[in-house]
Amino acid sequence: MAQSNFYQEGHYPSPFQQTWKEFRKSHIALFGLWIFICFVLILLFAPLIAPYSASGQDTEALLLPPAWDPSGTVVYLFGTDSLGRDMLSRVIYGSRTTLGISLLMVVMAMLIGFSIGAFAGMSKGLRASILNHLLDSIMSLPTLLIAIIIVAIVGTGLTNCMWAITLALIPQFIHLTRDLVRTEWHKEYVTAARLDGASKTRILFDSILPNMTERLVVAGTMALSTAILDISALGFLNLGAQAPVAELGTLLSEGLELAYIAPWTIAIPGAAILLMLMSVNLVGDGIRSALRYRLQQ
Amino acid sequence: MMTSYLLRRINLLLVTLFILTIASYALAYLFPGEALQNLSGQLNPNDTTYAALSEKYAMDAHPIFGFFTYLGHLLHGDWGTSINSGKPVLDEILSHLPATLELSTYALFMSLLIGIPVGFWAGIRFHRSVDYAVMTGSVVGFSIPVFWLALILIMLFSLNLGLLPMSGRISLLFDIPERSGFIVLDILLSDVPNKREALYNAFLHMILPTLSITIVTSAVVMRITRRSVADVIQSDYIKAAIARGLSRTQALWRHGVRNALLPIMPQIVMQFTVLLTNAMIVELIFSWPGIGNWLLQAIYQRDYPAISGGMLAVSAVVIFFTLTMDVLVRALNPLKRRDVHGTI
Amino acid sequence: MQLLDIKNLTLEIPTASGSIKALDKVSLSLKKGEISALVGESGSGKSLIVRTIVGAIPDRWNITADRLTWKGQDLLGMSEHKRRRIIRDEVSVVFQNAVTALDPTATLGEQLLEAVPDRLLPKTMFWQRRQHRLALAQKQLHKVGIKDHELCMKAYPHQVADDVCQKLMLAMSLVSQPELLIADDPTMGMEITTKVQILRLLTKLNQTRNLSILYVSHDLLAIATMATNMTVLYCGQTVESGSMSELRHSPLHPYTKALLDSAPSFRKDLPRKTPLSSLPGTIPTLQHLPIGCRLGPRCPRAGKECVKAPKTHRLHNHFYNCHFPLLPETK
Repeated sequence: MAQSNFYQEGHYPSPFQQTWKEFRKSHIALFGLWIFICFVLILLFAPLIAPYSASGQDTEALLLPPAWDPSGTVVYLFGTDSLGRDMLSRVIYGSRTTLGISLLMVVMAMLIGFSIGAFAGMSKGLRASILNHLLDSIMSLPTLLIAIIIVAIVGTGLTNCMWAITLALIPQFIHLTRDLVRTEWHKEYVTAARLDGASKTRILFDSILPNMTERLVVAGTMALSTAILDISALGFLNLGAQAPVAELGTLLSEGLELAYIAPWTIAIPGAAILLMLMSVNLVGDGIRSALRYRLQQ
Repeated sequence: MMTSYLLRRINLLLVTLFILTIASYALAYLFPGEALQNLSGQLNPNDTTYAALSEKYAMDAHPIFGFFTYLGHLLHGDWGTSINSGKPVLDEILSHLPATLELSTYALFMSLLIGIPVGFWAGIRFHRSVDYAVMTGSVVGFSIPVFWLALILIMLFSLNLGLLPMSGRISLLFDIPERSGFIVLDILLSDVPNKREALYNAFLHMILPTLSITIVTSAVVMRITRRSVADVIQSDYIKAAIARGLSRTQALWRHGVRNALLPIMPQIVMQFTVLLTNAMIVELIFSWPGIGNWLLQAIYQRDYPAISGGMLAVSAVVIFFTLTMDVLVRALNPLKRRDVHGTI
Repeated sequence: MQLLDIKNLTLEIPTASGSIKALDKVSLSLKKGEISALVGESGSGKSLIVRTIVGAIPDRWNITADRLTWKGQDLLGMSEHKRRRIIRDEVSVVFQNAVTALDPTATLGEQLLEAVPDRLLPKTMFWQRRQHRLALAQKQLHKVGIKDHELCMKAYPHQVADDVCQKLMLAMSLVSQPELLIADDPTMGMEITTKVQILRLLTKLNQTRNLSILYVSHDLLAIATMATNMTVLYCGQTVESGSMSELRHSPLHPYTKALLDSAPSFRKDLPRKTPLSSLPGTIPTLQHLPIGCRLGPRCPRAGKECVKAPKTHRLHNHFYNCHFPLLPETK
């Protein structure tokens, strides 16, 4: 007998498509994504976007207020700082440094954390137990504190800061990967793959990794927001990027002394950090709730 | 069950502290400069003191032996002297730590006081306009860099409006003798003539630092609470309670609150450590005489004995706090007590 | 007297891709002192009916019904407060999944005591009330077959076995001495012996206290012996309803017949090696419900008319919704 199809052929989107579909429904998450894309564009094309160079000084225009102030000019949209450098360009280059370094740190921490975590998740016994205890202790220390301590040891500077924050970010990736690998490992599809004779690496990359990508991405956005906050905090505390480098935290601390006469030198870099963090957090939130919705169904 | 758990936790605490002391000892060798100088804090000692110090820290012996000597000194309260001030590091820490703890406690208290009820409200109105409003507010709140927020608050309330003081714990006009290190307690214990004014003044000084930390932390607490409440509301037992004839409010009050709050206690405890770090940064901005301010100054001045001592103290406080809270949460939460009764 | 009377109950759940009729014109009625069975496969909307009756569904779900009455009072029209009062005092529900339907952070005793209504307590001082509550609760625990009441009442839900939770749920619903007990698969996951105990207890309560029971289950075997009436559901539509014995011996709807055939112990005349009969296909998902009679695509007797929802037909006391019923040939 011919099987006739009584139901409309339902199109079942792949898990990623489902997540994206759910993510798209949230306007605020999409808004965050757009801002984030803008920041990424700034990261890639800063020299094309910025009207001036980050260090170019205009001695005619010292501490010029932003354009919307009666005494400001459109030539310097966000005004200038005490050395006559254009704030807009400095913020653009600053965002570039801050975001670029943060992304780099997160990717590095994720790679290292994933490898260690996957290894720990697949091994049992004493090794895992020791790692467990160590991680628990380290995870209870906030990353910024660890970073400050590491910077105190190795000395201030942007490169040292990068290492410090990367190191501080690694434990949470180890923890996440280990937990995920461990729970997935006992699921039946992995058992099935194992019975088929798949090797451990094959199971890890072909079976388990696709199931944890999204959660890794969520953890990545959280780490990115931490990284941005930490790098700019260290910059602000003069432990990170040093003066001539345009970095948002450093810009803030430069504006500190003249805060009273030139509040915009503080307000604008800070607002840039806020916007950047907000976009990252919105995207992270969006993915997380989309993922949650998908897994609940 | 509980005792063995307690023992394991205490064991973990001791092991972690031990590792920290090892790290702190190793720092003396890792820091630039001479290890002995980094341990003791004595700058350019003459030959006799050098020999005495070398003897004291067992520099000639094997580093492992040196470490245990160092550990002995630590336990006896001899943490070396600060290169900066020339005072013993432990005394400095003990005089700065209370200020930080005081600030953190107020901020934590305020964050819970604001974050939990608002989060609850949003969770009950899950996916309605109130929820969206609260969530938007909280995303902004926890994306604000705390140092920037503090600066903006200073610019607004101190510089522009002139309402609140921008630095310190209390006006210099008041001379409060230091006893406990907690300013409010000190004022109450002291016998200064105008206690009321002093308290009011200390209160004014507290507002801005507390506020800047509170805004950030309460946003996070809000999110955690909201998520948990929203989950609980959709649970079967709340539906069952309503089906049994309880009103929504009754069901939530009797079965929701406890179930929503218990699982998030550990997460909220974790927030304290973040809060402490924020407090350390805020201290620098408000010239609050706390451990963060002191430690950062030590880093700027390359005061190595102070750095390693401060690091040890701060991490010990954090770890001690998290472990204590962990045990407490476990004692409170029946779900964590997995002693299975026999089947009946 | 009709205790519970539901006529053409429709429940629409709004989703992102349009609203779904989870219940489509369901009718159900229950007389005082009757045991009525509500049968259907999982996902057929049995639990939704239960939740609609007690009012534990989200506000944004849309309910329409010609009648939804309790002792002649319209449940949908009355105030929230009054409805809750009726539910609390006169109706009790045993939920499908006892472990998740119990508050995980409260002891079983606390939850059982909460379920004891004030009206059953003698008029005494408030400090004596707890004693009375406790006595009532313990008595009820013994009745449902929990012997060690002290241990049970001190335990948290996760500390006891699933069937103890289930029994406790039963005790919670019986302790308020309701007129109607809605049992949503109360014997799920129990061993056969405890299952029999529970069923016997329910039958006894029905006979001695004239307790009406709406027994919701997919387990035909369990209900066949105790229920007087049966309503069969398929995908949110009432398929057939009538007295148990009539439905068993001469089902009119193809689905009822298929359901009965799938339980071989109902048929004594089966030759050996007969294949177990079952309908082709699977239950459609809520997103892809067929129009008209929802059984249509799977029905062996389906015809052109089946794309329209059939009206309710009546044969004596036997109601069925089918265009091509299995009427006796003599007609």
